[in-house]
Order: sequence, then structure tokens, then C-alpha cells
Amino acid sequence: MNTTQDNPVTAAKRAGRNALDESAGKQLLAAHGVKVPQSRVAKGVGDVDAVMNGLQTPVVVKVMSPDILHKSDAGGVKINLRSAAEVKAEIEGMLNAPKIKGARIEGFLVEEMAPAGHELVIGGLRDPQFGPLVMVGLGGIFVEILKDVSFRLCPITRIDAEEMIAELKGAAILQGARGTKPASMDAIIDVLLKVGGENGLLMQHAADISEADINPLIVSDTAAVAVDARFILG
Amino acid sequence: MNIIEEFTPLFAPKTVAVIGASTKGNALPNVFIRRIREFGFSGDIYPIHPAAAEIDGLTAYKTLADTPKPVDYAYIAVSGAQIPGMLAAAKGHVRFAQVISSGFGEVDEGKGLQEELASAARTGGMRLLGPNCLGIYTPRGRVTFAEIGPKEVGHVGIVSQSGGLGTDIIRRGLSRGVKFSGLVTVGNCADVTPSDLLEFYLADSQTKVIGMYIETAKDGRRLFDILRNAKAAKPVVILKGGRTQQGLAAAASHTGSLAGDDRVWVALARQTGCMLVDTLDQFIDTLLIFQSLTPRPQRPTQKVVLFGNGGGTSVLATDYYSRLGLDVTPFAQSAIDALAAMKLPPGTSITNPVDCPVGTLQQDDGRVAEKILDIIYSQGKPEALVMHLNLSAFVGRTKPEVLDNLVAAAMRVQEKYPGQSHFILVLRSDGEPGLEARKREFRDKAVALGVPVYDEMANAGHPLAALATFERFKAARA
Repeated sequence: MNTTQDNPVTAAKRAGRNALDESAGKQLLAAHGVKVPQSRVAKGVGDVDAVMNGLQTPVVVKVMSPDILHKSDAGGVKINLRSAAEVKAEIEGMLNAPKIKGARIEGFLVEEMAPAGHELVIGGLRDPQFGPLVMVGLGGIFVEILKDVSFRLCPITRIDAEEMIAELKGAAILQGARGTKPASMDAIIDVLLKVGGENGLLMQHAADISEADINPLIVSDTAAVAVDARFILG
Repeated sequence: MNIIEEFTPLFAPKTVAVIGASTKGNALPNVFIRRIREFGFSGDIYPIHPAAAEIDGLTAYKTLADTPKPVDYAYIAVSGAQIPGMLAAAKGHVRFAQVISSGFGEVDEGKGLQEELASAARTGGMRLLGPNCLGIYTPRGRVTFAEIGPKEVGHVGIVSQSGGLGTDIIRRGLSRGVKFSGLVTVGNCADVTPSDLLEFYLADSQTKVIGMYIETAKDGRRLFDILRNAKAAKPVVILKGGRTQQGLAAAASHTGSLAGDDRVWVALARQTGCMLVDTLDQFIDTLLIFQSLTPRPQRPTQKVVLFGNGGGTSVLATDYYSRLGLDVTPFAQSAIDALAAMKLPPGTSITNPVDCPVGTLQQDDGRVAEKILDIIYSQGKPEALVMHLNLSAFVGRTKPEVLDNLVAAAMRVQEKYPGQSHFILVLRSDGEPGLEARKREFRDKAVALGVPVYDEMANAGHPLAALATFERFKAARA
């Protein structure tokens, strides 16, 4: 954190919000040293040219609205766009989508696409008796169906982070199974520590953040990037 | 005041006040007075009574503030509503008050009374144990609520949210050879919590192993911080009640415990090195192993040798231990060659598990075991050896001293290779009274020598795996 004014949690609380939107969530992660994709906000099709200047294609566009919780389901996420023209066309399409039309729209997040890698989830929750916990799991069906996740109380140490990952039933997949590249263990541990470690995000904001969900965290053989993030305040 | 100074009046009180004893001598507090006298309590006992001049031959006093000397420990078992007033009037004259009575936070209509009680204890300047508990068992202070319990001061410190379970722990522990440095029941934890007692036991030089029965940790963060800062200096075994939705509902009506998230307890155990167990027997079994054996983080337990009579038992145990993450794998060829050279009778298996029928074990009146174990220790170098004897198989076939010789032989080999392998004895029996008596005699001897004794291979497996986990935890963080 640079200053309190920069703190997206404080800002969201002041604005009376009960959650951080994706852009604020990523700002918070970036402030704690977690890599997030380069992104800018376009208010509408009018700023797309300016916003695209300096971003690497392909990009993804995501609608920003306090009324839309599940952006993909609402048709509010379009990926793999290679030009300003494609971005504009998709934004116009979204503005007419049935589940978006009536919503309050704050803008469109235009974001560089993360390079391919393993999908992980890093989450957090606050227990009323024990305080913040950090969670890690493999993304997709592993976390949703198989509940293959491990938890630790914050703050965690490096060894705790290593053991959390080793404890996952799907841990071997991260080593690179069936011809895939391995995921960088150092990069995952680094994010776990920045989120759940001694001076990590969850400890610093224990009083304000009741739930955190970085999903997915895309981990290549060299880096981990938080592609989407949700923080519930309260 | 440090934690030891703070809690010494509880664990070794010089003065005990008792509220609720009747002049007829038949109330629970009268029983308590009798028990502590029988247990050898040599300090002053002050019955508190509004009218009586004397109870059980002791001078009675009207209030807690009237006793000749300040009260280190007050045992209170009268109807709940009158207690807050008694505590509030103590005027700093009482260090610890234990409220046995129930009808507080464990029932909806008592929640207000519990708050009143806690506030009265603060006003009266004392620490409060309970309400809704049974008492303390502290051999160093010669105070006990329990009917039985050894006078000898041991090394296992217990805090239990349940009073009844506290009694079970003392009784079963006693029959298994577990000796306690103290046992405190804390019930609804209106003031003193398991965390406070954990802090005491961690600092207490008499305590080597800590066991906790917990239904809820209202001060969970503090419990975590204490465990984390302790860096597994002493083994802590946690029996957690209310780990399922249905169990939580039961805990809520038992001690008024609030919902807890089981994932938290698993996480807590993994990152602080404490051991979570599921049953009372596992709890006692695990405390026993840590009471008897010194953990060796420099050489965490992995390779286990099984030695004894019973082929099927050996195979089943190998499966069981392997599922617990322990290795029961065959010896290197050198060890097998050395054992083969002994030319043991047919039917003897020498690869690990080492299965020796009674016919083999009774050779040389049981002294053959020494030679076999010597080879196992010198060539096999296991981190742990589990020796199992099926006592039923010896009956009527061997001289009585064969069993003694077998155990004595094992002890001699232990001494010859100091610090090499953990040694565990499993004495299997079939419930026949004569055999059980023999087993008990045997168990007592072995436990006195520092050997943990179990009834079955599986019962020994869990604590051994817990020991291994504890050693690995320390090794990874050394």
C-alpha cells in the first residue's frame, strides 16, 4: 500500500460497497505485489482506441457493473480480441445483451490475456473465532466438484505454503502431467505468501475482508497471474 | 505475574473453600471435602455456609471474604442464581473459583446468568473456571474431584471442556499407565479457557505432553497464536468434539458451544504440529506414546519392524500401518541372511514382518528373542519396533517365565542400541480373566520401564503415526 487513499478497500467502504469490483480487486492484489494482467477501463466505445494504445493483444473485455455478479453467464466477458475494432463491436453487443441492458454499467475492463498455464484458485475467508484463513486448490472441476482444496490459518509460512500445495490430491498435475508444462511452484508459493503470509493481504485487511476469491490464478512455468478476483467486504 | 505464578494457586492450592456442603454431610461438596482429605490435601479447608458453625468437623464461614487466609481455590456447587452475588462479595480474597453447577450458557435461559457470573468474578477479583464442569485433579496439589486417580505426579497435562470425559480420561489413563501433571475441567469457559491452561502447561516444567478436549474455542485466534509461538515445543493432542454438523448441535446443548468450521481444526493441526484425534481411545493411546517415548525429529519414524507371534495379525497390521503412511517393508539382504543363519524352525518368517510362532519364541526359554532383535537392530535399523505377543497362544504351552524373558530380552537390546529405535509393545489377549490379569501385571511392568503398551496392533498404529507426524513437523521446521 502506498497511502491510505490508494487503498481500494477503504475507498470501497467509503463508497458504501459490500464488495470490491474486479478492477479494484486487482488493484488491491497489485498493491500487494501479486501480478495482474495489464488493464484499463473504457467508459464506452468512445475511449476504446485510447485504452487499447499500449495494451498487448489479444485482450479480453469484461463488463463492470455492481448488478452483475456472474459476468460470463450474463455474456459480459469476451476473450481473444485482437483489435480496437473487435473490442468496440463486442462492447456494443454487450450493451444489447438481455442480462446487461438494464444493469448499471460503470465501464468495460479491457485486459491483456494471460499466457496459457495451469488454473488454480487461491481464496480466503474469515472464521469468527480464528480470523483469516487462506485456501488453495486446482481450478475448474477440481475445486468445484472434487473440493480438492487445502486451508491454513493466516499468517502462513513458506513451509506451510509448500505443504498446502503438496496436500492437494491433484498436486502431481502441477508437476506437468501428460505432456503439459509444470507450474512454477515458487510463483504459487509467492502468491500464497502475499495473500496469506505475515504481512499479506488477508492479515492486513482482516477487519474488512470476509471472503476472497482469486479465480483463476493462471500459473505458467515461470509466473502466476491473477486473472479474476473477488473480495467481499464486511 | 507470569503464567506459572498465576496458575500455581490452582494446581497447588494452600487453601480451599467449599460452597454447597451440607451439615448432613451428603452433598457433592461434602464428598469433595472427603476426597481431597483422602487424597492427602494438607492445607486449610474452609466450608462456606450461611448458618452452620461447623461442617464435616471443619469451622464454617459465612462468606468467601470471611476466611482466615485468602482462598486459593473455591469449589462451588450450589444452585446457580445465588453464585454471582457470592463471587462479587469476595473482595479480592479468592484466586480461583470453580463453578460446578449447571444451568448457565448451555441452556438459553441461563445465558444471561452466565454473563452475570463472569462479571461477578471480575468484580470479586478472581479467575473463574466453568460453570457446568466437575472440578480439577491435581496430584501436585493433592486436590481431586475424581473418585480414583494416582497420587503420583506425572507428565501429561489435560484440559477438558467436558467433566465426564475428564473422569474417563483419568480412569482409562490410570488403567493404561498414563500419569497426569494435572487435569482441569472447564465446562462452558465463562472466563478461563483451554488456551489459558495450554499456556500454563507449555510453561510448566512438570508437563511434557498436553491433551485437550475442546468443543469450541471462543478465543480461537489466541489458541492458534499460542500453538504457533510454541513451535511444537511439547506435543499437543487435541480431541475435538463437534466436527460434524450433528456433532456441533450436540456440543451446543452440552456446553453452549457455537458453530465451528472443521477445516480450521485440520489447518490448525497441520501448521502448528498438534495432533487431532477422533476418539477417547486414540486420545489416551497418543498421550501414552508421547509420555513414554522421546520424539526424534533428527530421524523421523518411517521404517517400522513388526516382531511377534501371529502371521495373519502381522499381515493385517502391515496393511494398516501402510495406510497410515508407515513403512513395513522387507529387510535388506544382509539382515535376511543373518536371520536365516539362525536356522529358526519352519513357519518362522524373517523378512519383516518377523513372524515367530510360539514354538520359535520359546526356544531357550524365550532368550532367542534377544538374538533375533539384535540382528534386527544392527542390520535392519528400524526407526520403530513393534513387538506383539498373543498371550492366548502361550497359555499351557510354555513356562510362565517365557513371556518375562521375551520382554526382558527386548529391553536388553533396547539398552544396547540407545536412541536407535522406538520400542512399542502390543499385548494381545482374548478377555479371559486369568489372561487379562497376567496382561495387566505385564503392562504395569513395561509401562514402568517406559515402554508404551497397547491392546492391538491398530491401537498402536495411530499413535505411532502421530509420533511420526510430529517428528516430521519438527524436522521440516528445524
